[in-house]
Amino acid sequence: MWETLAQAVINGLLIGGIYALVSIGVTLIFGVVKIVNFAQGEFVMIGMYISFFLATQFGVDPLVSLVISMPVLFIAGVLIQHFLIRRVLGPNDMPQIFLTFALSLLLLNLALMLFSANYRTVHTSYSDEAWHIGGLYIPVAKLIAFAVAMALSGLLWVFLHTTDLGRAMRAASQNRDVAMLMGINPNRVFAVAFGTALALAGAAGSLLMPFYSAYPFVGQVFVLMAFVAVVMGTLGNVMGALVASLMMGVAESLGIQFVGADSGLIVVFALLLLTLAFRPSGLGARRGR
Amino acid sequence: MQTSDHMKWLRLAIGAVVMLALPQLVTSSFAIDIFIRILLFSFIGVAWNLMGGYAKQLSLGHAAYFGLGAYTSTIMQVNYGISPWIGMIAGGVVAMLASLPIGWLCFRLRGPYFTIATIATAQVLMLIFLKFRDFAWGAEGTTIPNLGSAPLMMQFEEKSSYYYVVLGLLVVGLWITHRIEQSWIGYYLVAIGEDEDAAEAIGVNAPKVKRDIYMISAFLTALAGTFYTQYIYFIDPATAFSFNVSIEAALVSIVGGIGTLWGPVMGTVLLETTSALLQSWLGSSVGGIQLTVYSLILMAVILWRPTGLIGFATDVYHRYVRRKPARA
Repeated sequence: MWETLAQAVINGLLIGGIYALVSIGVTLIFGVVKIVNFAQGEFVMIGMYISFFLATQFGVDPLVSLVISMPVLFIAGVLIQHFLIRRVLGPNDMPQIFLTFALSLLLLNLALMLFSANYRTVHTSYSDEAWHIGGLYIPVAKLIAFAVAMALSGLLWVFLHTTDLGRAMRAASQNRDVAMLMGINPNRVFAVAFGTALALAGAAGSLLMPFYSAYPFVGQVFVLMAFVAVVMGTLGNVMGALVASLMMGVAESLGIQFVGADSGLIVVFALLLLTLAFRPSGLGARRGR
Repeated sequence: MQTSDHMKWLRLAIGAVVMLALPQLVTSSFAIDIFIRILLFSFIGVAWNLMGGYAKQLSLGHAAYFGLGAYTSTIMQVNYGISPWIGMIAGGVVAMLASLPIGWLCFRLRGPYFTIATIATAQVLMLIFLKFRDFAWGAEGTTIPNLGSAPLMMQFEEKSSYYYVVLGLLVVGLWITHRIEQSWIGYYLVAIGEDEDAAEAIGVNAPKVKRDIYMISAFLTALAGTFYTQYIYFIDPATAFSFNVSIEAALVSIVGGIGTLWGPVMGTVLLETTSALLQSWLGSSVGGIQLTVYSLILMAVILWRPTGLIGFATDVYHRYVRRKPARA
């Protein structure tokens, strides 16, 4: 019993690291640019396909292809921010929601047309390896993915807290108007935030590739988790998103272990609805702000 | 404004005659099928537009009500032999009641997070119906027993009869929208859509207005669900709670002209015609092409014509036909 429980918690934490990369991206964009990127999951999908093609065409290990998928998606993010998102920033929600939503639909369906709905996998030397510690089973590929995800989150935290650009992003996130009065160039900050968020999604995609299949709809799984984690972790809060993502991973894994294999999503949605009902401004938020 | 009133009635009368005669003139069942799809999605768009368009509560979860309507009438018909005409109204009522707790949850959030919460509620309902094996057939779904010609059970031999049913639904939806547009509620909705805090500050009871319009919107969407199930003689959770229904409800309204009476109809005509043409050119073999084109149209509208086709048509009309009276 305790071993099953511990195993479920470990499985949840390991996949929660990937959820964290996606959620941190969503919350970063929400905090700084003040929009919700509905297409975030599709960039995970693109990251996966990049790694898949590098692995099958050039034999590049998916973990190594991180150094390609991240910059490619960073540049894509800067361009999307510059040419699309910038044009709809303003007080009106409708264009913002439906522009990123249209982007999500477009990327998903383009992938469906170009790559078909087939599942693509990459088999690496460590794909099937696992460590047995006590009675617990720890797959190496997932452990590496978790470790790299945490390292990237840590790097982002250092970037946000020690560099001028990072501080500018946090300032813009806390109060955009005052930040602009202090001489922060909003377009530059927005572009970096969007690019960074997409680079994290790309990293998530590459890290997933050794143990997860790529298919056009794969991003939907991760983006739903991310949305829930971002609500639970208080909108715009990077640390909150990280902690909530790990919790979501564990909750999903416990649901699968103790309720049934297809109940992961129900648990996640139930958590979202419960959060909305009782703590709509996030678990960490102080009451009656 | 006597003459313009006459013109309006004349145009409506011509429109009515054309719409009534259409299935008699065009008898190809492929074409009638497309007409039915256009009318159905126009109607769903009209229902969405009441809440999403006027009050700008951008739901992407209307499949919840479509599915509840479809399941209520089908369960009543298949398990208890009750006519879907009654089931349709019952489904509407179920959807209205469901919209109360769903609205209570989702309206706690604003903007994009309201949208996400609505997506989640529709997904939860789909998952529940996937699990509901004894009561609602689980993932396999069920076929509706085919009784041949049974108008009292909403089953017809002629496709054109389905056309008239859904045309009737659309007329009801447009009439309700028109009445709301003309009433105080219409102004309240627009005020909430423009700025909810400001609307509350001048005395609009925003939570109540939003709750009421959400109930009406849910009721109408559920009617569409019953109709669709009767039309295709089949129900399962994936079609009844399909995310594509939620998407198309919002898309046709935005592309046509969000928050306008005829916007959803114009949007559906454009999108469904495009989709039918694509299918006849390319066959249905290329997966994803329909939504690829829809998403490109949606992006183009948002970036260049946020007022949609209606706004575009009005601009063209004022530029080339009749100049806009100069603003004071």
